Amino acid sequence: MKRSDIDVAVIGSGPAGMAAAIRAREEGAEHVLILERQEQLGGLLHQCVHNGFGLFYFEQDLTGPEYGHRFAEKVKDLGVQVLLETMVTRISADRQITAVNNREGVLCMRPKSIVLAMGCRERSRGQLNVPGTRPAGIFTAGTAQRFVNVEGWIPGKKVVILGSGDIGMIMARRLTLEGVEVKAVVEILPYIGGLTRNEVQCLHDFHIPLLLEHTVTEIYGQQRLEAVTIAKVNKDKKPVNGTEQMIECDTLLLSVGLIPENELSRMAGIALDPLTGGPVVDQWRETNVSGIFAGGNVVHVHDLVDEVSWEAEIAGASAARFARKEERKKEKKIVKPGRNIRYVVPQTISAQCDVTLYARVKDMEENVTLKVGDILSKSLRVVKPGEMLKMDLSHNQLMQLRDDEVELFIESAKRRQNG
Amino acid sequence: METEVLIIGGGVLGAVVARELSRYKADVILVEKEADFGWGSTKTNMCIVCQGGDTLEFRPEYHRSKLVWESMPLMEPLCQELDVPFKRVGELALIRNNEELGKFQKLKSRAEKLGLAGHQFIDQDTLRQMEPNITQETIGGLYDPHIAMVDPVRLTIALIENAGQNGVKVMRETEVLNISQKMNQFEVETNRGSVKCRFIVNAAGTSVDKIARLVNSDDFVLYPIRGYVGILDKNLGGLIKHEIHMRPDAPGQTNILTPSVHGNLFFGTTMQPARRGDCSVTGRIAEIGLQNVRKILPDLSEKEIIHSFAGFLMFRNWEVGWHECVVQASQKVPRFISICIGYPGVSAAPATGREVTELLRREGLKLERNESFDPFRKAPPVFNELPEEQQKELVAKDRRYGHVVCRCETVSEGEIVEAVRHGATTLDGIKFRTRAGMGRCQGGFCTPRVVKILARELGLSEEKITKKGRESRLLLYKSKELLEAQL
Repeated sequence: MKRSDIDVAVIGSGPAGMAAAIRAREEGAEHVLILERQEQLGGLLHQCVHNGFGLFYFEQDLTGPEYGHRFAEKVKDLGVQVLLETMVTRISADRQITAVNNREGVLCMRPKSIVLAMGCRERSRGQLNVPGTRPAGIFTAGTAQRFVNVEGWIPGKKVVILGSGDIGMIMARRLTLEGVEVKAVVEILPYIGGLTRNEVQCLHDFHIPLLLEHTVTEIYGQQRLEAVTIAKVNKDKKPVNGTEQMIECDTLLLSVGLIPENELSRMAGIALDPLTGGPVVDQWRETNVSGIFAGGNVVHVHDLVDEVSWEAEIAGASAARFARKEERKKEKKIVKPGRNIRYVVPQTISAQCDVTLYARVKDMEENVTLKVGDILSKSLRVVKPGEMLKMDLSHNQLMQLRDDEVELFIESAKRRQNG
Repeated sequence: METEVLIIGGGVLGAVVARELSRYKADVILVEKEADFGWGSTKTNMCIVCQGGDTLEFRPEYHRSKLVWESMPLMEPLCQELDVPFKRVGELALIRNNEELGKFQKLKSRAEKLGLAGHQFIDQDTLRQMEPNITQETIGGLYDPHIAMVDPVRLTIALIENAGQNGVKVMRETEVLNISQKMNQFEVETNRGSVKCRFIVNAAGTSVDKIARLVNSDDFVLYPIRGYVGILDKNLGGLIKHEIHMRPDAPGQTNILTPSVHGNLFFGTTMQPARRGDCSVTGRIAEIGLQNVRKILPDLSEKEIIHSFAGFLMFRNWEVGWHECVVQASQKVPRFISICIGYPGVSAAPATGREVTELLRREGLKLERNESFDPFRKAPPVFNELPEEQQKELVAKDRRYGHVVCRCETVSEGEIVEAVRHGATTLDGIKFRTRAGMGRCQGGFCTPRVVKILARELGLSEEKITKKGRESRLLLYKSKELLEAQL
């Protein structure tokens, strides 16, 4: 394949990138290229040796590497080109990609379309501003996961985990299985950050204490971490005096949120949604920059890998159609997050085909109704920030939309009774 | 071991003295207790080459003030010789009311009286043109075009490398434990054996008074003052162009927002007495820091803070609200010179180096020109900063430059290997020399990769790799080791 002939270039080869590339090939794009910075396809799936992958996509319970392997095989079978150990350093608004690798040095290409599938990164200690010293022994949960599962090293034997994101809970179990004492998982909110299934399978089943409405207020140790102080927090998330307790530990893991990785998107002038941290996309997952599409955790952080791949497939298919210059109508309606909704993806829709909306709530609430304007209403027993909402809108329902804007919101039980 | 001059401390001051002395044929050893250079106050500051934006500055009666303005014209040529980044950004001191205006008018006239030209009052419209994104609650500003940014740790490393090229011997992880005086000699006991020397330059930073006490030469009192600095994401790098200084609203605070040589913005506030060595950031300090910087950048989101740290300065005369430096030969002990600037040590370094050399001469050190002195030192390549053609050439020469290890700062394996060759032995050493791990993910991605490269290049097991030397190992056990121990 000549660099000048690329139909679709996909940046990243995790569960999003591979799914997008495969789908682009299946949609008829002849020259599809994946640019991956690591030594092999799969992104972070390699270090996710736990199960729970593919329950929906393959209707099988797979580990991360197994899930990745299935896609990687298909990438090979379909003749998708792959450039490994190749770091994309720049994308321009006219789809010029600059990348670096150790074979060619600097390489440039201008594909007909691009799919962004860079995934997300973990929030670090710096962004949390945890007070205290700066000793060794503080890692993000994902970094620790790589050390334990890929490199074969255990960071320490007495661990406190701050934050109850999925990677943190999974590492709590993983480290316990390695003989590490996980002293507590500490969560500042009144509910966990990740999935309920991980709370049950990773914490409860292994008797790991989960302390809700608590946070780390101090870090001790000059060389290696020696202890942390945790305290209960009030409604404003401020520590409550007198509730402090010191926990001796040599390791602190952070699992306090994921941030979509959009530095390249910024360079290309792609508009980002401050609510998701990812590009503003339409239902075809096209960004505001024509011919650049995005799917997976780069758009918004998903709970399940299956959803990551599905979303990226939309982007892959759309990129293939763009590459063969298929026109589509540009009409757009904005989906606005309303009451108790943190964000909605896609941010704009049109009535040209069925659409699936994804949303996340701000706060936990019970016995509610989820509404999309007046075209969809769905009763839900409970909504939690840690569990993404998903709603399918049919072409017919969308045809009922009159305005250019539609609100997605949660109606509480109380309001219904009153009304 | 025996030498003529022993320099205690490998921060910017010790380094600049070592490099100054390497112009002469003197026999010099520099000892540093940490695993790398510039890890004390040198690394925990705002990287500004200033000449005193504070309205208290430009007072010839103060030694420190003089060293600072004497250093200003020396810094850029020094950085050029040593191939370290230097960026002249200029300073804007914001003026919010007539009281402040009065103070800045006095400052300007003091500077002019000393023959230091360049200060210029600007009106609010000009200020808005120069800095459209900052607060509008000002009546104008005082512009000082001289102010610049450096990378103090790289400057320190460059000074030491250049001193090394010119004959100075350097020992790391070497801590001074005791000093005794015999005849016309000092005998300095370290964790790596003893060093006999005739002259001592005590540049031990936050321990400078402790070292002086070892020879009973405690003729100065220092107060440890802790400052707080926050680092903002590079995405905000374009928000301001100048170092911006606002007069603090509360005593014991400063309020500065500045670009850096590497593209991030730094903000710094609060200078408070604290327990020596306690570099922890308290929640309260971080809160004040954010409140203060928002007076300059009102819409700043705390999410943009990628890292924050506290650092120590040793202030003399803190109790009178104005601090003086220590650059002096001991009155009690011959041939023993102590140096400590407090703030701003980096800015005052070049003139301090010259002055210490002069003090040593007066104490009896024979200074004969080193004819083979070479003032130039070449920095290892920074892949990210090279034009594309040179990037290609570099990768063609050494493929490891094409392997990006730190994604946020685009640092290649080649640069990390080169940093090890230049002396890095720790994760922090790599970080300060190459910037791997300094970006927005704060090492989340590159840490395992850097550890692997470090272990390979040093010929050590990954278990032995530390964050910052001594007891700061990163990985305590092998996989399954804890389980086997439990059986």
